[in-house]
Amino acid sequence: MTTATSIEEQTLAAHQRGLLTVAARRFAREPLALAALTVVIALFIAGALAHVIAPRALYTINLSANVIHHAPELAGWHLFGTDWVGADMLQRTLYGIRTTEEVALTAALVATLIGVLVGALAGYYGGWLDALLMRVADLVTAYPAVVLTLVAIVYFREAYPHTLIIIFASIMWAVVARAVRAHVAGLREQEFVDAARALGASDARIIFRHLLPNASGTVLVAATSLIGQIILIDATVEFFDYGLPASVSPSLGNLVADVVQFKFGLSSDPAAVGLGWWTWFFPGLTLVLILVCINLVGDALDDALNPVAAHH
Amino acid sequence: MASFFVRRLLLALAVLFAVSFGTFVFFATKFYPTCSGAGPPLVGSVPNAASAYFHWLRNVPSGGITRDPCGTDIGAQTWQSLGHTAALLGATALIVIVLSLVLGVIAAARAGSLLDLALRAFSYIAWAVPAFIVALVLQSVFNWAGNRSGFRPFATDGWPGQCALISGAFLKDCGVPGAPTPHAGTGLHYAVSLIRHLTLPALALALAFVGAHSRYLRSSLLVALNAPYTTTARAKGLPEHTVLLRHALRNSLATFSSVLLLDFGAIFGAALVVDYVFGLNGLGLLFLSDIQTASINPYAVQLLLTVTAALVIAAALLSEVIVAWLDPRTRLR
Repeated sequence: MTTATSIEEQTLAAHQRGLLTVAARRFAREPLALAALTVVIALFIAGALAHVIAPRALYTINLSANVIHHAPELAGWHLFGTDWVGADMLQRTLYGIRTTEEVALTAALVATLIGVLVGALAGYYGGWLDALLMRVADLVTAYPAVVLTLVAIVYFREAYPHTLIIIFASIMWAVVARAVRAHVAGLREQEFVDAARALGASDARIIFRHLLPNASGTVLVAATSLIGQIILIDATVEFFDYGLPASVSPSLGNLVADVVQFKFGLSSDPAAVGLGWWTWFFPGLTLVLILVCINLVGDALDDALNPVAAHH
Repeated sequence: MASFFVRRLLLALAVLFAVSFGTFVFFATKFYPTCSGAGPPLVGSVPNAASAYFHWLRNVPSGGITRDPCGTDIGAQTWQSLGHTAALLGATALIVIVLSLVLGVIAAARAGSLLDLALRAFSYIAWAVPAFIVALVLQSVFNWAGNRSGFRPFATDGWPGQCALISGAFLKDCGVPGAPTPHAGTGLHYAVSLIRHLTLPALALALAFVGAHSRYLRSSLLVALNAPYTTTARAKGLPEHTVLLRHALRNSLATFSSVLLLDFGAIFGAALVVDYVFGLNGLGLLFLSDIQTASINPYAVQLLLTVTAALVIAAALLSEVIVAWLDPRTRLR
């Protein structure tokens, strides 16, 4: 059976089963994508259950000389080692995942909702509304997102998880809005929209029952890539020592950023502590693992939803 | 074409005006310079932030915005940092263009091979690893190797002849932030020193974008290699490398360059990080040192942000113009 006929069959099947079901089946046939999805979900669940897995209080410090700043070891289950106040790095990494996922998932969800609404309105109505909304999107993206986030954090002076969520959501919606607008503007001219209108469907019904379900693939891909982008921007900002303080809410970014404070062992100043590699390596590795897996999932989703383009 | 260009240019200027107004109001209403005197008036001395902004705007043509209300010259440092960032971005662009072209063409010519697979794995990982981790790893590996062997082909921090604007971080202690150091050299020595100082930062910055853009080029080359005109070229008996390089690649270069320019904002954002890790005194380090002080100077930040926005908007405009020039259909939009 050639690829071409299988795509035709799948397209036929799509009419009977729905776009997302077929895409999910295609996605399930990619072992790498499935593995990546499993890893992301496992890490996110571990983060969400951090307080169950590591029930000791977050700020458990142990200043006894044999625990402080210790390389990874099986004894005492310090698998990721301990930091300069004797806190367990595995525990801190778990809580770091929790903070990072809380900020990234919530911000991505809010940004996607705003982006879908704005993109659908701009794409469907066109004209001055389209021009206005898309120029607002241009404004938000005129600065690199990292710069805009830093500006906003400086403006708010102190960052909490909810401040970060508001900041990311109000910047990143533009990315989703552009993608949805392009898709909806293309769909608007198709016959099924004319048919719906001829049947007397209202604008709201056409947008929510006909256009957006057809654009759901675009939304899904955009939202997935948004999660990755937000995690990356958040980590970068935390690395600059803006954003959340590592002592109160450890996140993957600010755990890596601890090397800034402790000079990474590079300083010629003997008074500066050279921090062990494990204190930044494991949070950094977790961060990279999450980002690689999210990108793999996003690409596989894109391929599964647009099978024809994927075979080029 | 001309009317398309003028329309887009006006739009870009309008966006620049709006964002510079936005950041001005953002900063000028929150932070005040600690003195008053020559230069544009303070927010407190005029009715509102909007009129303060228009005073600021009136000083744009004369270059008056390069002085803050205290009369301090904020322009010199900004232009110098702009130069450093431009040098970093130039070196990065060179690496990205050369490596992506080579890797993209190889991957397309040998699509499906083990080499193609390896390049694919590389591009996924390179794209996902945050720039600061790449920069940190490169810096520490070269530091470690240098300490072990005594052989240091590349400098691991700083701009030749300057202390970093932010002390501490990953940089060797240097004294007064931003102060000149004696050993910069002149002429050829300076050029060599510059290359030694820029290689690692540019490499750290380029890696992610080489990963992404070699993939873009590969897929656009594969489309081109299946196009009818490629079949014609092959039917004429042209050797495969001529078909690939002179026929397919030429057509793919248009999308390649426009996508690369569209990525300018992302590259610029990542340059901030690399600038910080390597202490290059570019716009990124200047921005961070500007906002790290207890008394933020809104006029210095405003000048810096306006220059940044102008660069990003200009890159987006250039990308659109290239696409429109190569593909007249898009001008209708």
